[in-house]
Amino acid sequence: MDSDPGRSTGMEQTLVAEAKDAPRAGDLAFDRLYRSSRDDVYAYVAGLLRDAPAAEEVTAATFERAYRKRNRFDPERGEPRAWLFGIARNAALDELRRRGRQAELTAEPADVESKAFEEDAERSERRLAVSAALERLQPRERELIALKFFAGLANAEIAQVLGIGESNAGTKLHRAMTKLREACDGHA
Amino acid sequence: MDTPRDDRLAEELRALRPTPRPEFTAELDERAAAGFPRRSRLRFPSLGSGSLQPRRLLLPAGGLAVLAIVIATAVVSTNQSGDEGVPAESYALLDQKPQPERRAGAPQTVSPAGGGAAAAEDSAGSEDAGIQYEADVPVVGAAAQDATAASGASSGTAAPLRLEADANSRNRAVERSAEIVLGADPADVADDAAEVFEAVHAHNGIVMRSSTREGEPGEAGARFELLIPSAKLSDALAALSAIDEVISRHEATTDITAPTVTTGELLRDSKARIDSLLAQLEEAEVESEREAVEAELRQERRHRARLRASLQNLQRRADLSRVLVRIETGVTTSDSSADGGSWGIDEALGDAGKILAVAAAVTVVALAILGPIALIALLAWLTHRAWVRRERRRVLS
Repeated sequence: MDSDPGRSTGMEQTLVAEAKDAPRAGDLAFDRLYRSSRDDVYAYVAGLLRDAPAAEEVTAATFERAYRKRNRFDPERGEPRAWLFGIARNAALDELRRRGRQAELTAEPADVESKAFEEDAERSERRLAVSAALERLQPRERELIALKFFAGLANAEIAQVLGIGESNAGTKLHRAMTKLREACDGHA
Repeated sequence: MDTPRDDRLAEELRALRPTPRPEFTAELDERAAAGFPRRSRLRFPSLGSGSLQPRRLLLPAGGLAVLAIVIATAVVSTNQSGDEGVPAESYALLDQKPQPERRAGAPQTVSPAGGGAAAAEDSAGSEDAGIQYEADVPVVGAAAQDATAASGASSGTAAPLRLEADANSRNRAVERSAEIVLGADPADVADDAAEVFEAVHAHNGIVMRSSTREGEPGEAGARFELLIPSAKLSDALAALSAIDEVISRHEATTDITAPTVTTGELLRDSKARIDSLLAQLEEAEVESEREAVEAELRQERRHRARLRASLQNLQRRADLSRVLVRIETGVTTSDSSADGGSWGIDEALGDAGKILAVAAAVTVVALAILGPIALIALLAWLTHRAWVRRERRRVLS
């Protein structure tokens, strides 16, 4: 993976080595899904867990589970990315449940601070304010923002992951963003 | 997010997006290329819950279930083949009687032919009362004949049922009969007949009737009605079976203990009655009274004579076994299928049907046992699943 902190560009990345045998259509589709979603899944899980090693484990477990279940994927029930993020969500929540603690969605402070050295003070201060505001949101609201801005899911995909309607997902996301903006303003 | 402020906020959020380490992505890419081989889950055992999913246990569990059914079917079929033709109620009867020792591979039929003890009680003079055991012993071919002869010669148990020893050891009165069909060439009928006589005499038996016919295959033959001492029946049958090719052999036993015992008791009662009448006769002073007692005494003596004859007949039936020996010509081993001596398509279909029936029965029993267990497991799994979902919702609330 490149060091670009932005979203995965999917097909542009060469992530999977060529298989020795001719891959099946399902394997090719999963390969495409893996390529396009690897960093997004990690970003979502890391945002949910706030623990990089655990996020790596959960991300790996997510793809492993998805790979094992790939033949049971039903396209009529939703998009592949939504299905994949549903698996990631369950794995992350299981991990959180195992730990017995709630999710903390903000990015790790170290990351923010390390980036701050490279950027101007104003932008750094603003990001710190956003990060602090994120921590004051409810976990469900933080998860919505993580799905939207960390994983880059569309509202329809978020709705499928959370098992709610698309308009409902949009409304919840709008409320979360409003609260986040208000929290940023209050912090400022 | 419709305003420039929202766009800026979104941009700030995207800038906060966590990114994976290059080492991790490289490792994950390798695992993806390898098809995500299973890992040891030392760090996060909770993530390995998928390995314990019921679905993964389904195949081995199903295999074990099928294996168990196959084994149970085999066991039941084996037992059933050993007990073929033996009705369940016969075992209850056998518990009361000397239980015959069964030889593996020798199908036998044991059927109650009388009314048992109840019938015997009210049939003092009925000599047919009792329990009858029958044994069909299809023995076909020279090999079987040799085997029979060998076993008979070595142990004296050519007959599959060793009722004799058991019955005698327990003082049971058992009437035995047997029928042997020998296959011979027309030219050998005379010699075989002579050997039958020799075997009968060697075992102190009696030839009640005999007839010999000469002629073409199918016409030539011989027939012997024999009485053999029951104590020597097994040896005699072994000797008779060794004369020529045994086409079929049928043995039957009838337990006549009950009528024998009852007749003996009645005989004792009759003797006591006669003694009593004799005492009355001595004390009778009036002529008319004397005549009445004498008439009653004569009637009782006749009754006692009948009982004695009946008892002797029963004892004779127990002591001497009826054996019918037939020597037939023009009969090949393939012709003996009617006697159950060979195994063909019909028998194969029959056996297959029995095996399927047993398998179906075992399956039904297994389902009766496994059904509730599976239902409980399903409920437990659904409960666990609901609980996990609730806990997942609670994590974020």
